[in-house]
Amino acid sequence: MPLTSTMHPTVGEAFLKRDRAGRALAANSERIALACREMAARFRRGGKLIVFGNGGGGADAAHIAVEFMHPVIVGKEALPALALSNDSATVTGLSSREGFAEAFAHQVRRWADPADMALGISRDGRCENVLRALEAARELGLFTLALVGGGGGAIMRDRAADHILVADSDDPAVVKEIHVTMYHVVWELVHVLFEQPGLIGDGGAG
Amino acid sequence: MSMLEEPRGGGACGFPSFLYPGQADLGSVLAEARRSTEEKAAEIVRLRWQVAEMAGDELAECAQEMAIRFASGGRLFAFGNGGSSTDAQEVATTFLYPAYGLSLPALSLTGDVAVVTALSNDVGFDVVFARQLAALGRRGDIAVGLSTSGGSFNVLQAFEEASRRGMLTIGLAGDQGGKLAGLGLLDYLFVIPSSSVHRIQEAQTTLYHVLWELTQHALGAVPAPQVHDAG
Repeated sequence: MPLTSTMHPTVGEAFLKRDRAGRALAANSERIALACREMAARFRRGGKLIVFGNGGGGADAAHIAVEFMHPVIVGKEALPALALSNDSATVTGLSSREGFAEAFAHQVRRWADPADMALGISRDGRCENVLRALEAARELGLFTLALVGGGGGAIMRDRAADHILVADSDDPAVVKEIHVTMYHVVWELVHVLFEQPGLIGDGGAG
Repeated sequence: MSMLEEPRGGGACGFPSFLYPGQADLGSVLAEARRSTEEKAAEIVRLRWQVAEMAGDELAECAQEMAIRFASGGRLFAFGNGGSSTDAQEVATTFLYPAYGLSLPALSLTGDVAVVTALSNDVGFDVVFARQLAALGRRGDIAVGLSTSGGSFNVLQAFEEASRRGMLTIGLAGDQGGKLAGLGLLDYLFVIPSSSVHRIQEAQTTLYHVLWELTQHALGAVPAPQVHDAG
């Protein structure tokens, strides 16, 4: 069937709005490298990665966990990671009785060991349960990393994580796309550094 | 999820092999890490434009077809393995609970662990999506399958089932398109021309988001200012 006349310009606009945010990602390269150095050291000490987010961010949490648990590159070591948004019984149970804001913080408190890492995803930085889980993780001495977008919301305002990576867009779809590249790069660099224990130390950075 | 290996020279992950014997100092490794990140950021920006160039017309046409199905009561089913299973979830939630516009019926076939493990245990992993489509799907529905390699058997079988049922079939693959390209029964197949699983997934994410935006556009929805997002 013939396309409506406005479809083609819309395709161009859709790709154009991704260009700027995609280019802006490079500005995070220093922050990414420093975060990965500490993560590699913590994995070396036996730490595990605990990941959480809401909506599509929950899907990202699962993606990150499987990325570490089942490396796509043959020969890479599987590193321990757990997504807190996967278990709908726990998430709905907690939300029902404790409130949705506690959905992840409660799980972080039960699972966390001091060498662990917490990674929270919130496309606008305003997710209360992600913020609370990051705060709980920090209190327990975990490494904390947040992936946010837009202005970074409360997570940025409160500096709720040791490391915060911002996708430079207000569009949640575009923010997700930048986040996917960010966590793919994080996974790669963690492995590169993990394989150089002499450089990262045995966790002194953590 | 594909097991494609990153076919890059030197060390794994695109790092020059000289970094691997452990003789480099931390400063140079971190500098190399920054350079690698910048290179990958540039690579995905280029790849997105390449996809826009190659598939722009087809994306607009495909979204138009999806809009017709939704307007007639069609539902969307999304499926994939590993990282692509999380993309299937993202596709479903993007249509069902959108940032703006119309909420449309969409379901990820990877979300129900009871169904997935029961089918895998009792019948086999290859049928894990096809059986769900056989039970839930009907003529006029939409099947969206993701496979970075294009070779996932359960995705191929699901498309065969979807096609038999008269569903609109949309495949997202990478590299050369794998077996999905040879299937010959897909209404639309979008192949991301890259050999990196990571870049393929990133470009696929853009591709299905753009398909969603264009579907909303075709249904007359107008983007609202971005205020708050659940994700």
